[in-house]
Amino acid sequence: MSCVDTKYKGEKLNRETEEKLTSSGRRDFFKKTASVSAVAATSIMVPSTVLADDENIMHHVKWGTTLGDECNKNPYGVPSLYEHNVVRRTSALMSSAGDMHAAISMTPLHEQKGIITPNGLHFTRTHNGVAHVDPEKFRLMIHGLVEKPIVLTLEQLKRYPSESRILVLECPSNSAAEWKGPQFGTLQFVKGMMSCAEWTGVRLKTILDELGLKPEAKWMLAEGSDGSEMSRTVPIEKVLDDAMIVWGQNGEALRAEQGYPVRLMLPGWEANLSVKWLKRLEFGDKPWYAKEETSKYTALTASGKAIQHFYANEVNSIITSPCPEIPWTDLEKGDLVEIEGLAWSGHGTIDGVDISFDGGKNWVEANLKGLVLPKAWTRFSYMYKYEGKPLLLQSRSYDDSKNVQPTVNQEKAVVGVEGVYHRNAICTWAVSDMGEVSNVQIRS
Amino acid sequence: MFKLDRKLVTIGMTLALSSTLAMAAARSAAPSIYKSKPGAIDGGVTYPREKGNYTAYKYNEQSTEGVSFGRPATANEIKAWDVDALPDGTGLPEGEGSVELGDELYEAQCAVCHGEFGGGGKGYPQLAGGNQDKDENGIVITLKNQRVYGNTDAPKRTVGTYWPVATTLFTYIRDAMPYAHPKSLTNDEVYGITAYILAQNEIEIDGEEMDDEYVLNKEKLMKVVLANAKGFYPNIDGPNAQEDIRAFFADRAKNIGAGTRCMKDCKDPGGKDGKTEATLMKIGYEMKDVVPPYAYARDLPPEKEGGSVSKAEKMYDASCKLCHATDKMGAPAVGDANAWKSVMEKGMDKVLVNAIKGTGGMPPKGGNMDLNDADIKEIVDYMVGASK
Repeated sequence: MSCVDTKYKGEKLNRETEEKLTSSGRRDFFKKTASVSAVAATSIMVPSTVLADDENIMHHVKWGTTLGDECNKNPYGVPSLYEHNVVRRTSALMSSAGDMHAAISMTPLHEQKGIITPNGLHFTRTHNGVAHVDPEKFRLMIHGLVEKPIVLTLEQLKRYPSESRILVLECPSNSAAEWKGPQFGTLQFVKGMMSCAEWTGVRLKTILDELGLKPEAKWMLAEGSDGSEMSRTVPIEKVLDDAMIVWGQNGEALRAEQGYPVRLMLPGWEANLSVKWLKRLEFGDKPWYAKEETSKYTALTASGKAIQHFYANEVNSIITSPCPEIPWTDLEKGDLVEIEGLAWSGHGTIDGVDISFDGGKNWVEANLKGLVLPKAWTRFSYMYKYEGKPLLLQSRSYDDSKNVQPTVNQEKAVVGVEGVYHRNAICTWAVSDMGEVSNVQIRS
Repeated sequence: MFKLDRKLVTIGMTLALSSTLAMAAARSAAPSIYKSKPGAIDGGVTYPREKGNYTAYKYNEQSTEGVSFGRPATANEIKAWDVDALPDGTGLPEGEGSVELGDELYEAQCAVCHGEFGGGGKGYPQLAGGNQDKDENGIVITLKNQRVYGNTDAPKRTVGTYWPVATTLFTYIRDAMPYAHPKSLTNDEVYGITAYILAQNEIEIDGEEMDDEYVLNKEKLMKVVLANAKGFYPNIDGPNAQEDIRAFFADRAKNIGAGTRCMKDCKDPGGKDGKTEATLMKIGYEMKDVVPPYAYARDLPPEKEGGSVSKAEKMYDASCKLCHATDKMGAPAVGDANAWKSVMEKGMDKVLVNAIKGTGGMPPKGGNMDLNDADIKEIVDYMVGASK
């Protein structure tokens, strides 16, 4: 058993036994993995403390006494075999009748390092299965209210000058299960419908500059080529601002699940609008009322009317460590530990994040760390002295558009609990006196 | 020494001061780079390119004027792909289908997912049903249901109660249905199924009820007014649409919900009366049926059943392959039939003894003394078998 395992849920420390082993009780992993030999006990014994020798140190390890794999055994690399549990997960609740063609899979945020999601872990939403577009047969048509309607092959599209941006994609349904109260017990399922990657492609404006966009063009229809022909209507202002057509994801071609070979990318906007397996862009003077912007992806409020065409992901944040999957059960009183999390806003750049330990009554300022980019995940950090007391941990982010993340009550007061989409209320982790972490809500 | 120390201190202080100044300069320069443009359509911030920067990103400032690839789209190509339809009926194809035709097709191809008469219950979206009655403000009453205080039915989001326009029904069925065979229906069939679903929702067209004989076509579909047509905001139609959207997002506190940066002794009342203090709510029933199941161990994955790699091959890979993969090291290469034919002329017993005790340049057991004699026999059998 490796020491890392002890950090995970379900393997609670047997503190009583350990207290008997040593009076100091520190660093359980030495004790757990070690066998106390007579020699060790006599030679290393110090008053009131017995530290056993770690077998992983006292003996040669298998990988040090055998020949490893050939250098290029996996011409396309794969994660360490030991990481096989770090995977996307889904649930029947996020499908129709358990059918996984129109479903969604969640990124394992508890294992997310930094701000770039590996391509194999990027959350995936499909309406009619993952399409496999033949790049030789791929065509992109741009037409409607333009002087010069065109057709592009993939090679021709990639001839356009490219740029790369690190951008978060978040499903409008992220946390949809939480409106009426907490339902899932893990970070992966509370907030896993989002990922952040470096996307490479051409700004749509660069292409349109040469096509002669007509002044009466107010809307763009973006249509996918998959079985659902997922389509959305986008206002022209966004198209000409920072919309992109992308073919690169973290240095390689888009994954099939992310729209290979080409998808629309609307920075900061809800991911449903960044149409995958892109086929057609039409410019018009009226919105189209596609299915995914009428019967779905509209937020029914308590008034009985629904918000349509909500675009930007609201300012949001979540504490990723600790979390239910990686609790504080291995900590001792007095340990100094980092509280870490992710913040993002579709409106711009994160200005800061506050942290509360008492369920939102009092707050302290956390620190941002790493790259602080607009419309991208931003890491926050706070060094905390663990006291072994119960906590109600919250994070609250704010951005450079003066948006502040609302409490559950503040969001509920405006939109009610039947909205399904566009949730950005503050999340709460309850930390028990044993360091276990669970998903709760503070609400009326 | 004292002088040297002083010199070091001076250098250190200069470095510290200059880095502080540099940071201060960077901060004061930030606004010109991160120049905001309030009033964008989502009420948010856009970041114009200027002076070689796009926020934190550098970009190529050379003109892209004249960059143009691709070829003109032909009229026929546009006709083939431009089949969308607007709420006013623009783009709808010719054709017609009766409620009766739709009934037959629905029963055969749609009911399995959407339930009898569009009534749902199969896990896929419910298409018909739900009370369409409106209040004095024209709002569908059942859409105000909130499942939070007391027992209330969920608001039903069917074509009759929730969908704003009927043209979407036609285009969606044609492009994306039936689920497993999208785009397999003719326009007449799509008109028929559209008619059937509208009829199940008790829609009247021009005051006319849709009985079995009712035939739907483009002109009639354009006239459908659904109960919840006015149930959505902000306004996205007409010349003021973009301004209306901009105004809506400009007031997110009122329209979407916004927080406040209270730092001390914060109150957060809510509830039905808006005055109840917030309390702790735990998970009532935890959703745990996830796929694959939750697992966090950092161990080796379970061996796949019927794996193609045998135990003998694994042992060969680990301890013998280094020398036996090719004949470059003087050992008989696995896969080389001739080489192994001459090896086997000695007889299996002798080959095994050589493998166990070593021979020529080969160390005993290939150097892996953890292997027992039975292991060696398995490996040799494997090597011989793979070299026939």
